[in-house]
Amino acid sequence: MQTAKAHWWFVGPALFLMVVILLMPIAIAGALSFTSYSLGNPGAEFVGLENYEKIFTRSTYEKMFGATFRYVFVVVPLSVGLGLGAALLINSTRRFGDLYKTIYFLPVMAALIAMAIVWEFAFHPTIGIVNSTLERGCGSFLESWSWFAHGCERGFPLWLTDRDYAIWTVAFIGVWQGFGFNMVLYLAGLTSVPRELYHAAEMDGAETAWDRFRLVTWPMLGPTTVFVVTISFIRSFQVFDTVEAFYPQGGGPSKSVYVMMFAIYEKAIQQNLMGIGAAITVVFLAFVMFLTLMQRWIVERRVHYT
Amino acid sequence: MSEASLPATSSVSLPAFRFSVAETAKHAVLIVGSLIVLLPFYVMLSYSFKSPAEIMQNTGGFFGTQELFRDDYCIKLGRDVADCMVTPFIYNYTTAFEKAPLVRYLFNGVVVTASIFFIQVLVALPCAYALAKLRFWGREAVFGLVLFCLLIPVHAIALPLYIMLAKLGLTNTYAALVIPWTISVFGIFLMRQFFMTVPDDLIDAARMDGMSEFSIIWNVMLPTAVPALLAFAIFSVVAHWNDYFWPRIVVTGDRSLFTPPLGLREFKGDADGDNFGPMMATATIIVAPLIVAFMIAQRRFIEGITLSGMK
Repeated sequence: MQTAKAHWWFVGPALFLMVVILLMPIAIAGALSFTSYSLGNPGAEFVGLENYEKIFTRSTYEKMFGATFRYVFVVVPLSVGLGLGAALLINSTRRFGDLYKTIYFLPVMAALIAMAIVWEFAFHPTIGIVNSTLERGCGSFLESWSWFAHGCERGFPLWLTDRDYAIWTVAFIGVWQGFGFNMVLYLAGLTSVPRELYHAAEMDGAETAWDRFRLVTWPMLGPTTVFVVTISFIRSFQVFDTVEAFYPQGGGPSKSVYVMMFAIYEKAIQQNLMGIGAAITVVFLAFVMFLTLMQRWIVERRVHYT
Repeated sequence: MSEASLPATSSVSLPAFRFSVAETAKHAVLIVGSLIVLLPFYVMLSYSFKSPAEIMQNTGGFFGTQELFRDDYCIKLGRDVADCMVTPFIYNYTTAFEKAPLVRYLFNGVVVTASIFFIQVLVALPCAYALAKLRFWGREAVFGLVLFCLLIPVHAIALPLYIMLAKLGLTNTYAALVIPWTISVFGIFLMRQFFMTVPDDLIDAARMDGMSEFSIIWNVMLPTAVPALLAFAIFSVVAHWNDYFWPRIVVTGDRSLFTPPLGLREFKGDADGDNFGPMMATATIIVAPLIVAFMIAQRRFIEGITLSGMK
């Protein structure tokens, strides 16, 4: 009945592009990571594992992993937790739920590079709205908090240029940008929790809101949580826009915000050290693929019980 | 800040509802959250209205006083002082368009995001149809490959892609901005899942009528897939309009190829004290289209952006 070869015309272009655009680059990155290749050089010298050795021994890359993991392990729990919290609160209020939802989702829609530039203004030590608002709290009860009192006396932190604060400030912006996305996924998850389960739980003696959450909501949101956590990991591993906007050179005060995507950009694109850039790419891909495979494995194990 | 008056109105103006401590506490938390979320949007809009002096001294409220101020650049050009007095709001927005080719950036953004979306559909739709509705040798293998490719974030392989494009002499072209995104395995996966739900009878009837497989895709399957395609369009357009990383890598220096995010970054690079207002105006102009579209069609947008949450 069917045209014999039609399907290859349909699948062919996609197949070709998948191989050339997605698979070949992985092979190229793998191959180049064992060389000292630079763009413009006729050949590439084979250097064995030297690039990987550098990544895992030199202090620059130690800082790179430090910054990346600090960022990821702040942004993931907070954006997932706040996303869930916001979803639960919005779901349980009688009014204005849609308004809050719209507001919390705005940062997801806005170009991060633009918002990063605005945040840089807001965090500006002298004309920024953050510190000037904090200063207004001076002389009030807030001064009983020693950090706050210290800020009033000596000036509030230079959020983006003090190496003790920089990575956390950048992570804060990551949370600000990402939690609305997680909230929406959780709201979708909440609509699929059957009402009867709450009645059943009540009959079994679940009285407090916490009990209902612990016994019904949280387990029923399991698959959503697995997905939300994975996608938050992958997105936060890829952070670049904010870092490049704040620190176009060098990765922040004492390289404290030198995240992996920025390291790839700096080494390979700015300094034309393709070998080391490729090696970081390979390590990066290994992380991301491992996480996604973990997610698929967990989902396949436990998603079937509904 | 003006939003600070919100909590009072939300609980007081609704006497019809019974006052409840829990409910009030929830709203208090949600409102504080909203203020933090809205803060940068407030700063962006407000600064795009204000004069340099008002920005520096943090005065003038949200909208600024809109008092005339002297445009020093205009004086430098040797014009009369009286001709060089400008209203901050108008100055900021006109400077945004005059100082940099912002129209060109916006045009590039539209061209790039539109081309990406159309090519993605052109490639993904036939493939999805074949995977869902045709039986052929190797189908499982192709679908397996799609599932594997879903693991690869394109940003992560930016470096080898850049090398390939550089070898082909394609950096600093529109092609470089579009090519890596022409294949959306996610689009294939999504449309395949959607086509699985289309009844076989529909396709068989079309075949009986003598339609070719090719015209079945565009005349039968495409119209049924419009809702899914719309969601995918939003997903794709938002991602590529806002993308900064990839354009940053393949476009260097050539301003005529800048997408809006690159243009804004460039603006920031040479901004001095007087240019904060125009810069915030530029940021507003770049962010506004998607935000406005989102406000108008919220449900569709949320569906589209969270598509990746579908299994």
